[in-house]
Parts: sequence; structure tokens; C-alpha cells
Amino acid sequence: MIEAALPGAAAEVRDETGTGDHIRATVVAPQFEGLSRIDQHRLVKAAVKERFDDGTIHALSVKTSLPG
Amino acid sequence: MADPELKSKVEELIAANQVLLFMKGTPDMPRCGFSMRVVQVLDQVDVDYGAIDVLPALQPLREVTAEISDWQTFPQLYVNGELLGGCDIIEEMFESGELAEALGVEQPETAQVPQAQPTAPQQSPPLQIE
Repeated sequence: MIEAALPGAAAEVRDETGTGDHIRATVVAPQFEGLSRIDQHRLVKAAVKERFDDGTIHALSVKTSLPG
Repeated sequence: MADPELKSKVEELIAANQVLLFMKGTPDMPRCGFSMRVVQVLDQVDVDYGAIDVLPALQPLREVTAEISDWQTFPQLYVNGELLGGCDIIEEMFESGELAEALGVEQPETAQVPQAQPTAPQQSPPLQIE
């Protein structure tokens, strides 16, 4: 889902609690170039917004970085 | 739609405090692990900051910060009028020294950096070719 929203991105998603609703996402994306961390996180959150809205995810912890 | 009165109050507070933390609980008694972690980081960088307990008005404040900075979860740390980040970002920036830089203070020598962080590409100076 994150990779679909950010073409060229690599996302690794881990289930923190085993219940599937607390997610840790490590995202490497070229789109992060030149963005502040908060804007990088905003991009990731926007990509999974649907899952937050429908209640599939309760908590998302994000770590972002640039490729290379 | 956020309460306009609360929103302007929050905007005033953000403008009036160079460093302002919206958190669950108080710095002396945080009531959320993420808020506590940000307080611990701020204590280590030894900076004066204002703190607002969001618990008495959690939902109205979520609506306000959603409009002001497109962010609804707490804690939120504002520096010089801008949202710097929540717990993840603040800890990451603390470890890399970016937080001290953003706050205009010295990186504490005792900063608890769990492991060496690889230099992020975005921190390299732009390559100059003449």
C-alpha cells in the first residue's frame, strides 16, 4: 500500500503486537528527498490513511530514510 | 471542524513558546509512554519548554492540530512555530544531533545514542562541481 502510493519506495512493515493493528513501518523512498522528517512521515501516513479510517490500524510507528 | 476559539488559543501558545510540547499528562507525571520519552529527551538536551496536557480536551485538540499542522496524534513538539515531530521523529533527531541543532543548543555529551547511526544522505552537503 505504501509502495503503491510512493512509486520507487521500499517499505518494510512489521506487526508490533501480533494483533495486526500496531504497525511499525520502515520506509525508504526517493520522494523523501528535500523533505523534513515530519513531511516524510506525513507522506507515509497519507498512504495508509484509509486503513486508519476503517480501523484496521490503530498505531503506526514510522522510520523514514532516503535510498542509497 | 475545529473550535475556532480553541484553535486561535493554540496558535497563540505555539507562537508565544519557542519550544512547546503537547503531551498526555505533565512533564512531572506523563500519562503516556510516548509523551514520557519526549520529556526524557528534552530533559537531556536541557532546554526550557512549555508543556500542555492534552488529556482534558483530547478530541477538540486533535481537531485543532489536524487543521494547524495535519497531525492528530500526541505528543507533538513545536519549535519556532513549526511542528517538529512526535515521539519517533524527536528520538531520531535527538540521536542524530538534529534536535539540538533545531533547538540551538549543544548536543549533550551524555546523549544516549543506542547505536551508531549511518549518515543519512539528506545530511550530506550538496556536491559542488565547478
